Amino acid sequence: MARFLSEDWTPMNRALAIALTLSLALVASVEADTKKYGTPLTLKDTTKVSAIFAAPATFDGKRVRLEGSIVGVCEERGCWIALSSDQEFQSIRFKVDDGVIVFPLSIKGRTAVIEGVVSVQEVSVKAQIEAGEHEAREHGTTFDASKVKGPRTVIMVKGEGAEVF
Amino acid sequence: MNWRRLNNLLHRDIGYVAVGLTLAYAISGLAVNHKADWNPNYRIEKTAGQIEPIGARDRETVTAEALRKLQLTEPPRSAFRPDPETIRLFYEHATYSIDLPSGAVVVESSRPRPVLYEFNQLHLNTPKGAWTIIADAYAVALIVLSLTGMFVLKGRHGISGRGAWLVGAGVLVPVMYWFAFVGTP
Repeated sequence: MARFLSEDWTPMNRALAIALTLSLALVASVEADTKKYGTPLTLKDTTKVSAIFAAPATFDGKRVRLEGSIVGVCEERGCWIALSSDQEFQSIRFKVDDGVIVFPLSIKGRTAVIEGVVSVQEVSVKAQIEAGEHEAREHGTTFDASKVKGPRTVIMVKGEGAEVF
Repeated sequence: MNWRRLNNLLHRDIGYVAVGLTLAYAISGLAVNHKADWNPNYRIEKTAGQIEPIGARDRETVTAEALRKLQLTEPPRSAFRPDPETIRLFYEHATYSIDLPSGAVVVESSRPRPVLYEFNQLHLNTPKGAWTIIADAYAVALIVLSLTGMFVLKGRHGISGRGAWLVGAGVLVPVMYWFAFVGTP
């Protein structure tokens, strides 16, 4: 220890420092290539997104595995992705706790398999306006609060794991 | 080797090793502190364009017609219609959003900010796994640096003199701020 800290570094000291740096860089580069996010998926059967929209109450609180194209990614924190449904004009949001998974914007358009628990919530007018204004700020656009006509049922999946292909 | 010399050698060498990580964490800290004002990770640009309206109905035909009118030769990763009047075409760094009846196009391109994106991901421990160990080791190194730093000098410039006042002031800043502006939950 004292010798390592001494003024005169031996070739062995230099080699150790270089080896440590290279091994850390290697670990970092291997991890950067992974396309799995969060905890491993456990379910084998895939549920259709359209089935959840057809009968939300049936799926509320149930764990599901979904597959679809990524049609939206949280620009601010990477804390959600939107998956396209098997039916047109439908998508479902997959929300993760902030910081647990950070989805990069570059995965937009790719296919994802996700797993989580379906959440069906009635969203008040006030909450819709707040969310709309927040999203508009994020996208640098404006939000027309007059378009909110009443409470809305929001279906999302809250989870901890995803695979992106 | 007496304890102060060992203290100073540890402070010096751990300090050298910590330079890179300290700069990465500090620069990222400045960037994410102000995320209400800007996106610290991505440079996002939107450009508006115009093509002839698209009259087709099914997604495949709409996509083909949009690609032809936008003069895009590369097929998108995927296409999505959030509503009957809109189609979105997804590419790696760009999304084309087309209003079919009017032909209005918005192209949103997003690219990670060079270096800052990587600093932010490491700062927020996005990679998890082994990086957690490295970040923990760095945190321990900072603790060692702060403790050994107090004992580098002896005498009136050391911890028994002006050092005590400055350490006290540094401790008081977060404590006073908390009680003055945050308070108990």
